[in-house]
Formats: sequence, C-alpha cells, structure tokens
Amino acid sequence: MPTIANDFTINIATANGTGSQSANLILLQSMFEMGIPVSGKNMFPSNISGLPTWYIVRLSDHGYQAPGDRTHIQVLVNPATWDEDLAALESGSVVIWNSDAKKEMNREDIISYPVPMSSLARKINPKIAKLVTNIVYVGILAEMLGIDQDALVSALSKQFKGKEKAIELNLTALGLGRDYFKDNLPKEDPYVVEPREQSTAKFFIDGNEATALGCHFGGVQMLAWYPITPSSGIAEAIIEYIPQIRTNDDGEATCAVIQAEDELAAAGMVIGAGWAGGRGMTATSGPGISLMQEFIGLAYFAEVPSVFWDVNRVGPSTGLPTRTQQSDISMLYEGSHGDTQHIVLIPGTVEECFEFGWRALDYSERFQTPVFGLSDLDLGMNRWDCEGFTYPDQDMDRGKVVRDREVFEAFEDFGRYLDVDGDGIPYRTLPGSGMDPILYRGTGHDTKGVYSEKPQDYVDLMARLKRKINNAREILPAPLLREEIECEVGVIYLGSMENTIQEIDDILEETGMKVSQCRVRALPMSSQVEDFIRRHETTIVLEINRDGQLWGILRKELPNDLVTKIHSVAYSDGQPPRARIYSDLIMAKLEEVKQ
Amino acid sequence: MSERPARPAKVIKLNVINEPKDSYTGGPSSLCPGCGHDQISNVIIAAAWENGIEPHRIAKMSGIGCSSKTPAYYLGQSHGFNTVHGRMPSVTTGAYTVNKDLLYLGVSGDGDSASIGIGQLIHAIRRNVDMVYILENNGVYGLTKGQYSATADIGSKKKKGAVNETQPIDLCALAINLGCTFVARSFSGSKKQLKSLVKAAMSHKGFALIDVISPCVTFNNNDESLRSYGYVKDNNVTLHIADYIPNRAPMEEIEVPEGHYRDITLHDGSVIRLETISEDHDPTNAVAGLSALHAAEAEAKHVTGLLYYDGNKPSLIEDLGLVDSPLIDVADTDLRPSRETLDKLNAAFLS
Repeated sequence: MPTIANDFTINIATANGTGSQSANLILLQSMFEMGIPVSGKNMFPSNISGLPTWYIVRLSDHGYQAPGDRTHIQVLVNPATWDEDLAALESGSVVIWNSDAKKEMNREDIISYPVPMSSLARKINPKIAKLVTNIVYVGILAEMLGIDQDALVSALSKQFKGKEKAIELNLTALGLGRDYFKDNLPKEDPYVVEPREQSTAKFFIDGNEATALGCHFGGVQMLAWYPITPSSGIAEAIIEYIPQIRTNDDGEATCAVIQAEDELAAAGMVIGAGWAGGRGMTATSGPGISLMQEFIGLAYFAEVPSVFWDVNRVGPSTGLPTRTQQSDISMLYEGSHGDTQHIVLIPGTVEECFEFGWRALDYSERFQTPVFGLSDLDLGMNRWDCEGFTYPDQDMDRGKVVRDREVFEAFEDFGRYLDVDGDGIPYRTLPGSGMDPILYRGTGHDTKGVYSEKPQDYVDLMARLKRKINNAREILPAPLLREEIECEVGVIYLGSMENTIQEIDDILEETGMKVSQCRVRALPMSSQVEDFIRRHETTIVLEINRDGQLWGILRKELPNDLVTKIHSVAYSDGQPPRARIYSDLIMAKLEEVKQ
Repeated sequence: MSERPARPAKVIKLNVINEPKDSYTGGPSSLCPGCGHDQISNVIIAAAWENGIEPHRIAKMSGIGCSSKTPAYYLGQSHGFNTVHGRMPSVTTGAYTVNKDLLYLGVSGDGDSASIGIGQLIHAIRRNVDMVYILENNGVYGLTKGQYSATADIGSKKKKGAVNETQPIDLCALAINLGCTFVARSFSGSKKQLKSLVKAAMSHKGFALIDVISPCVTFNNNDESLRSYGYVKDNNVTLHIADYIPNRAPMEEIEVPEGHYRDITLHDGSVIRLETISEDHDPTNAVAGLSALHAAEAEAKHVTGLLYYDGNKPSLIEDLGLVDSPLIDVADTDLRPSRETLDKLNAAFLS
C-alpha cells in the first residue's frame, strides 16, 4: 500500500470541559516539533462543559493552513455527535473510536480502529478517566502515524510546564495508547507523518497572545476590559505579561488594568486615559463594539486617542459566540451615529497581530482618533506558526502634544481644534499642564473648542475630520500584493483569510487562470488597492460574511469606472474558511460575470 | 492747599497660593436665571479658591444635562470633559488611572446619575475612585423640558401630566450601602454648609458623593396649581406659554442649625423641609447615616450634612500596584520593554 505522508486532515470529536484541548495541543505541538507543516482549529461551543467540540488538525507539505475539504482520520469519543460525524465521512476514511462508548460502528466502507479508550484510561486513574481518555487517543494516533516519542515528550512538557505529576501521568497514558495500537490493531491505513527540516525556526502562538505582546511593546498604560469570547485572551495575556515585562525593580507596574462593569465603561475608561494623555486600550468582540458606539463617536468628534481591539465572532446579536467571521468591518469603519470614519488595522498573521498591536497605539495618538484592531476568532484563538516578533522600528509616536510652555507660547494663535499645518491634525495640551485648558465636549465646537452651532463652524470641523482620516490612507500598513504579470483575476481579501488564500489560489490556477492577491491591511484603504483593481481584468472581493462589507466600502470609495470591475464573493458559515468552498464560489461568480 | 487723601487702591484678595478668585471663575452661565445649579457653581469656585488648589490641577468632569453643562461656568483655567450621558464616572476612572495627581471634580444630575449612569456611579464608588462627585438633584429632566427623573418624590406633580407614583432612588442611602467613603446631602441655597462639604470632599482621598438638592426654577417637580395658586393666578398669561422661562432671583441663603429643621419655600410657592443632621451624629457609623435618611424620609424631610465618612479605605490607585509617579509622567523608553526583552521572549518561545 502506498503511504500518504503529511497531507491529510484529522478530526477529533469530543465534548468540551473534558480536557481534550490540552491533548489536542500536545498532538499538534508534537507534529510541529517534527518540522511538519501543521495547523489546528478548535471548534468549540459556547458552553462550559458537555457540549460537542471538534478539533481539526491539518497536515500539509504545501503549507495549507485551512481546515481541509474532507476528514481523512476521524477520532470518535463523543457519543452525542457520533452518528453525524460518522455519516459525513467519505469511503475509505479512518475511524479511531471509543469502543466503550456504547455506540454502533455501522460503516463497512471505512478503516475501523476500535479502542477501549475509557477502560484503558480507568486503568491509570478511574477518578480522572475522562481526562486521560484524551491522551489515550493521542497515543493511538502517535503509534498509527509514527510520531516521534521525543517530540511528544517535548510537547507534553511544554503543555504542563514543570508539573511533573501531570507529565508522568500523561506519559503513561500515551504509552498505553501506543501499546494498544501496536498489540491489537494491524495498520491498514496509508497515513504517516514524516519529519521535515524547517528552513527557519518557528514556534506556535495564538493571535490574541501576539496582540497582547504587541500592545505591551506599544507601551500601553491602561487596559480596561470586560470579558467576552473570543477576545478575553488578549486581556488575559496583557495581564499575564505585566509582572515579566512591565514592572520596575520594585515590582511596580507601568500598565494599569481595570476589569470594567461592562463594555460601555471599558470604552469610557479608555477615552478618559487618552484624554489625560495616556495610552488606553480595550479588547472586545462585536457585541462589545455595539455597546461602545456612543463613546466611539465622542472619541472621534472630541478627537481623543483610544484603541479598541475587536476579535470578531459570528453575529448578529449573540450570534454564534464561539465561531469565526469577518462581519464587523462596516461597524468599525463607520462606527457611531452621524458621519464618522475610523482607522481600522486588520492583521492576517500572528506577526502582524504583534506589529499592529503597537502601531495602533501610535496611530491613535498621531491622528488623535479611535483606532480599531480587527482580528477574528480564527486568528485570535487558534495557534499559528511564527518566526518571531520584530522590535518596533521607530520610537513611540506620541503625536502633536504641546508639553513645553515655550513651545506653547510660540503659537501665534492656539486652538485645540485649529489645523495650523494643513494635515487636519491639531495640537493638543494635556490636563494638568496649565496650558490652554478647554472643556472637551461631544457637542459642536469651534477651533477653540468652544460650543458652537454656527453652520460654517460645523462644516469646517467635519471637513477637517474627513481630511485628517483620509490623510492616513498612505501612512497605514499598505496592502500586501502578490501579483501575476498577466493581471487576469485579482482577489482582494483581508485578515485571517490569509491562511486559506494560497490554497484557493492554487485551486483556481489549476483551471488555467492567473490569480493575483491583494490583502487589505488597513482602512481607510491605500490608493494601491484602487491601482490593483485598475490593473486587473476582473477583481473579486473575498470576505467571510454574508453581505460583502469590504466590497460595499470599495463601491462607495472607488471612481465610477471601477465600481463595475469588482465583484463580491462573501460567505460565512461560522467555520474557518475552507478553500474549496470559496474557490467554487469564485469560479461561479467569474462565470456569472462573463455572461 | 491740603492734598486730598489718595483713594485706597482696590484690594484684591489672594488665597494661600496667591491666586485671586478670578482665577477660579468660568464663562457666563446659560442656565435659567435663578437656577440652583449656578449657586452650586459659585460654591465650587469659592471652595477651590479657599482650598488653594492650583486651578490647572483640577479636572472638571461631567455627563449630559443641565448640571453637566455647568463646568463651562467655573474653573476656566482647568481642563474639563463634558462626556456622554451618565458615563462620566468611567471617563474619570480612566483619566485618574493614568494621572492620579489631578483633583477630579465631577458634576452630574439626577437624570445622569440615577438612571443611565447609576451603574457607573455604583462601580466608581465600589472602586473608590479618588474624586468629588457633586450630584445636582432636582428630580426632573430640565433640558428635555420637565420629565420626572428617578429621584422625583412620590406625590410630586409636574406642570403637565400625572402625579409621580414611582418610588424615588435615594442616592445617599445607596452610596452608604455601597461603602462610599464620603456621603453628604446639602441644598443649593445653603451656601455655607455646601461650601464646607465641598471643601472637605476636595481634601478627601477616595470617592466623595455630595447630593445637592437644587430645585429647578422652570420645571419644578411640584404641583403649581395647588401649591402656588396665587402665583399662577397673577401670572396666568405668561405661565401657560411653554417656552417662556421665568426670570427668577436665586434662592436666598438658608442655613439650618444642626439638629433643627426649617421649611423652605421654593420659587413656585411649594415647600420643602430641610433638616440639618445633629452634631451628635456619628458620621463613621453607616447604620446611623441610614437611620437618619430613613427617619427624615418618614417625616417628609430632607436631612442634610455629612452622613457617612470612612477615611481609611484605600482608593483605586492603591489597588493597582503602579509606579509612584503618575503613568503619564513615565518616559516612553520606560513604557516600551527593551529590545533585549523581546529577544528573550522570542528565544523562550523557540526553546
């Protein structure tokens, strides 16, 4: 039988709250340590214990990181989804199943590996049998696929950092799994792992932790947050790193953390910190941003630096709280009532989560406006490989703050909202400085910050705010372009689609077409996006949502002759994007456009 | 010819930091003439001046409403932030966290604090944010023309509409129950009492709530047709024009001796009964504070004075474990971890 190495997908069906996540991460990490290009997706429920969870591990020498189009190896532990999971499998798939689960194995066309996982686990410790069951299937997979024992041991010790008892117990369980497969189950399947030489050293990290570190390297001074999936990881990681990297020799911190009573208060605290001259931020998800809308308008209109990270989950409303989507784009870009426009940074990799973490704080002070980071559950909560983080290449940009009286006196005419040098950004003074105090307000104001309802004052203010944000277009992170010389089909996309785009591109190019990629990394968009559209015969705007929100923004901002050149492919089912679904949709759209 | 004696030079009184009182004033008020809120603004000016606080070290915070407009009318040399409805406490909390060295002076109303903002008020008290919180309480939404607020007394009747039958929220009782470290009630017309309370609150470390009864001259929460029959009778033409704002003189100063009460006639002829808490009251005893509030309520009186005080509770900043200097004074190079720190982190991830 010919073997299939490093090119298959494993799906592990368990119930949440049983400790399966640790076991799955050990499996993932062990393969990663063998140099195998591997990615893992946790499909978990909004629940503490007992509901179905799937963990999907994709091995791909092509480096594809999306969940594969099909499952090759199914691990069945959870009786609740057993029938459904089993029915979904293609003929010839492998099923490793818990024969203690009192469920039937009614498929004849699959390769069946029954394992009495519960009894094996009970042998080790009946009290924590459920927990140990998970490590038993890791042992089975390890033996079946040929995972190095050294890699497993290393992954185990990373997972249980220094907890010797846990490491020992899990090693025993792994061994039981391995031995059971060796002694009872002759290998009938073609799947194996093969070690690969990694060209560069890499590690695994999730986007939320990377974002948190980025914020610390941006010198964040205050985090105000309210717990919400899938963003809590950012706040928790910020808190976790403070003792290590944000305290002086006496253990005193330079970053304050307040767990707010709700998202409204969190937003208010961020704006208070920004008003006082500090770097404040919050991390939330779509429902939190909905609650913060009023404050976002205040920060825009009163021009107060403030940073909001949105780790997008499935909406509308409570939606699917533990599933991924790119559906907050419009809400962030035009957040709050009235005419507004906001800077949005959209990382697509963990390296960018780090980079945009510190850049967001810089942009916010530079442009004196709210800045959003838009991540999503897939990028934020799943682990991605990372070559390491790059130190900021510039000093912190504190923006136009007048700190010295001499500088202040040199102004011919000082007004908090007076644009003295034409870039739309006025100078500000800080409370406590004794210089030009004003009463900040969300009401209409003139260039001195004094309440005004005069028509021309309002028109001038709104025009300046528009100019200020428009001037950011070429300063914010530029789009990332990967172009074919033929300039046939262009695909504009954003965020975590980065991890699926190459596979989509490869599928499309198999049909003979030439595909260029343009990843938008910030709003408002650079003129490079417009140039990309102009150069290409047809452009697809690819998004993980229903309505094509980025496409909508482009239609509003592009010149008329380009509007008809862009076509929306938007789809979201809550799952991380699988390449085949999106490539099929793109092909159908191109077909439709041709007619 | 004998020289006429020189006219004495105009004496400008200075406070302990050599500032004239003018350094503490603000712009002209745009509230209704005679509004109790303006009397409170004057008390704030006097208290800050007498306490000798550098004007630029004060931060004026407010939400939305008549009361929240007043920061424009005092302390013109101080920065301020007129935020959103009821959410001034969170903005203050954020500012205070990064710059603990300012005196945060919040002004709010009952519409702001007893309804949309009640959660934020509660949590600012719970955290013991170091600030003065003056609540200008008139039981009515003025800017939207006279709807009841959540502090309106049962039985109140506004110009148009039904009698209020809904139980009011007593924010002083709430604050005492929450462990607020400084809880007082006063009256906008009791300048002397109010000023001493504001001065004390400015010196207090922790959250200081002063609930100031400040009757609305335009949309009184009392039944004009019953209680000020004579006034209506004499002025019936103008009073029925909805957008006419009567020009009234401010309330005369009222000081009620400790342990006594006095009936105060408001602009519309209605009466409220103010009682000053007796000198025997122990402000460190929360139960005594609550008893005084409940006893006064039972007798349809408003008890004023310092109801509760706790000088020992740590304020929020002490709980945060921060460096000594305000965070905004920490150098950028001390905020951003070093390149070596990142190298170490990267190396640890790779190992």
